[in-house]
Amino acid sequence: MSAPILVEDLRRTFDDITAVDGVDLEVHDGEIFGFLGPNGAGKSTIVRMLVTLLKPTSGRARVAGFDVVSQSAQVRSSIGVALQDAAIDPLMTGRELLRLQAVLHGIGRKDGNERSERLLERVGLTEAADRLVGGYSGGMRRRLDLALALMHEPKVLFLDEPTTGLDPMSRLNLWEEVRRLNTEFGATVFLTTQYLEEADELAHRVAIIDHGRIVREGTPVALKDQVGSPTLRLDVPGEQYEVARDLLVQFGEERAARSGRLAVGLDAGATGMRDVVRALDEAGIEVLHMELDAPSLDDVFAEATGRRLEGAGE
Amino acid sequence: MALDLQVRTGGHRVSEGALINALVARSAVNLKRIPVALIPLVVMPIFFTVAFSGTFRGLTQLPGYPTDNIYNWMVPYACVQTASFGALGAAFALGRDLETGFYDRLLLSPSPRWVVPGAGLVWAAIRTGIPIVITLSIGTLEGMTYPGGVMAVVWLAVASIGVAVMGGLWGLGVMYRAKQQSAGGLVQVGLFVAMFLSIGTVPLDLMEGWLPHVAKFNPVTPILTLARAGFVGTGSWADIWPGLLSIATCSVLLGWWAQRGMKTLIP
Amino acid sequence: MTTTVAGTRASHMPLFVAQSWALVMRAVVRFVRQPASWIPGMVFPLLLVAVNSSAMSRVATLPGVVPPGTTFLMFLLPAAIIQGVMFGGISGGAELATDIQTGFFDRLISSPVSRPSILVGRLGGAMAFGAFQAVVFQLILWPFGGDVVGGIAGRLVLVVVAVVLSLGFGALAAGIAARTGQAEAVQGFFPLVFISLFLSSCFFPTELMSGWYQTVAEYNPISVMVDGMRYQVLEGFSWSEAAQSVGVAAIIAVLGLWFAAAGVRKRIAVGG
Repeated sequence: MSAPILVEDLRRTFDDITAVDGVDLEVHDGEIFGFLGPNGAGKSTIVRMLVTLLKPTSGRARVAGFDVVSQSAQVRSSIGVALQDAAIDPLMTGRELLRLQAVLHGIGRKDGNERSERLLERVGLTEAADRLVGGYSGGMRRRLDLALALMHEPKVLFLDEPTTGLDPMSRLNLWEEVRRLNTEFGATVFLTTQYLEEADELAHRVAIIDHGRIVREGTPVALKDQVGSPTLRLDVPGEQYEVARDLLVQFGEERAARSGRLAVGLDAGATGMRDVVRALDEAGIEVLHMELDAPSLDDVFAEATGRRLEGAGE
Repeated sequence: MALDLQVRTGGHRVSEGALINALVARSAVNLKRIPVALIPLVVMPIFFTVAFSGTFRGLTQLPGYPTDNIYNWMVPYACVQTASFGALGAAFALGRDLETGFYDRLLLSPSPRWVVPGAGLVWAAIRTGIPIVITLSIGTLEGMTYPGGVMAVVWLAVASIGVAVMGGLWGLGVMYRAKQQSAGGLVQVGLFVAMFLSIGTVPLDLMEGWLPHVAKFNPVTPILTLARAGFVGTGSWADIWPGLLSIATCSVLLGWWAQRGMKTLIP
Repeated sequence: MTTTVAGTRASHMPLFVAQSWALVMRAVVRFVRQPASWIPGMVFPLLLVAVNSSAMSRVATLPGVVPPGTTFLMFLLPAAIIQGVMFGGISGGAELATDIQTGFFDRLISSPVSRPSILVGRLGGAMAFGAFQAVVFQLILWPFGGDVVGGIAGRLVLVVVAVVLSLGFGALAAGIAARTGQAEAVQGFFPLVFISLFLSSCFFPTELMSGWYQTVAEYNPISVMVDGMRYQVLEGFSWSEAAQSVGVAAIIAVLGLWFAAAGVRKRIAVGG
């Protein structure tokens, strides 16, 4: 079976800004594919092109076997979409929206009503179904958006930053639901996110995007292994910063860290910490704070781009 | 790359009729939920009919005025005027959908692209029922006559629906490009100017100065004549065909313009 | 407070005047900077007059409507001014609602600014705009046949009525703004006023109306005011007619001010 999503040299410019700069990717049938990157990296632009809401400037993309430009209607009938801003009408009730969605996808009334009830139960909105959506919380809107995306039981699902702005509990619930869709229902999921734990937790494979280009691609484990060594992070008094820095780089290469903090990858692994501590001690450097991190996707990102993905995350 | 691969799609063919029904029903329900939006729909026809007929009644004394019953002249004007303003409500609703992002949901339907805006126009046409009923009721109560018989009402309905559709297409064209509710003001201005620079209060041959030169070329003018065909006169074909032609031509042109605007939604 | 007011000899004036002046200036500057708030008030009345005077110019030939040698445009001149004032007043009221919504109003009342200055500032702006409109409309319409038989004196009467009426409309709109805090509610006032202009001698002679409509129009105080203004335009300057117009405008102004002051007081008491 050919790839549910196949992208070749996809580009998109807006006036003189290149939002997507030659992206190639292939998503395998039945996998959860994570698209990770900071705000403005081009994630949503790519999603909008793949779901036929935006035309590529150049390049090709096929979704569910159909070309996104010349066969856009077939693409739309094969995909479910939950966009970054939940696309809902605040003046309608949840139930009304689901029923309208059924009609929008050519599902008959009886069938549509049954599916609406099932979906409402599945996303836990049965009780709120007859309330105006304008009164729903952010989490409820996302759940409804997901239900709308699933109405016509698509095999390919696009989730654009599905948990942005949700509280931790709602986020976990949504992760659970996405896993279920994938394992029980066999849906191929294309997920964009700016949260590295989300990609780490959910995705079978991850592509990291920055400034419109894919900078790394692979399974989360493989990507983290590539970064290899753990990161040692250190806070020292300002006047000792340079001395400490010169000392640390003997133990491995310097890594990106937030301002004022030192970070180095330990070539010798976690056991190398002992030597570092001794060396710092001998040099009379005062350690205000120290921590050791196994590599994360943030490290993968930092290694690829020289910046941290979650700027405040440290 | 196999084109005939067995990817399970929804497998359903979208019924355009069912979708238009559903969208029109949605508009009707939305109207119920913002009752304030109903006020212009009901109040405007009453106001225009009563105020214009009451204030300008004396016009019938002008030598050569086509009728001596002011309601026969003003009721069709009030009706057409209100029908065109119905487009404003549709434009605001579209603006709201664009601002909330709900329009993306509609765009994600595999249905042909004309269905969603088409539903808006169907709704605009259906809504003209309200001003037609209200203006005719008031006029009849005040002694309006029907020289053209039943056809008078028919031509009035045709003119009103025509203007509602034209106004709707104008609103679509503006909103698709502006993508926000605040552009409703521009829609309003366009409708108002079109209605105003025409034969609202007096016929062309009684005007003086600059206005008749503009009104003569205003496509709304023959449409107003059409609307009045059975009320001022008995509905001769000469009064009817220019209005029909104007509606058809303007609808095609505005439709093309609106459709170009729609393309900007998927740039 | 006194020394930071630009362009005034603030340190020589009593505090109230200085503060009011500053707020008037603010209202004027804000108004000017937002074309959407004054363009309709300038364009719409002129457009209406232009169209109606051209469409219904022959009404002037009907007996008793206008004196010989005058035009229907002259008949409509007061209407243009009143409409313009109406727009301006309502825009000003909507501005006050915006101030309430943005919290600027709260800032004002928690500052040493005297309470009356707040209203005076807002209304002073409306009055300035009303005067401006009255002058500009007359100037624009003059070359098109918008003559005023009453000459400079007659023209001055129109301006004075415009200023007083601006105060009245502005105050009514401000009262609504103060009570509701919503610009939309103020805008909703507009159709009501528009209707009351129709039910008067503003756009058409009441002699040519009939039935209950004529009765209402004849007793409408706006007709009394318009008729007084129209006398200056069509017949010539008259003190009694002028007093009639200014008097009605003044009554509206007094009622409006009372309404606005009560509304502002209520808002301050409730806590903005």
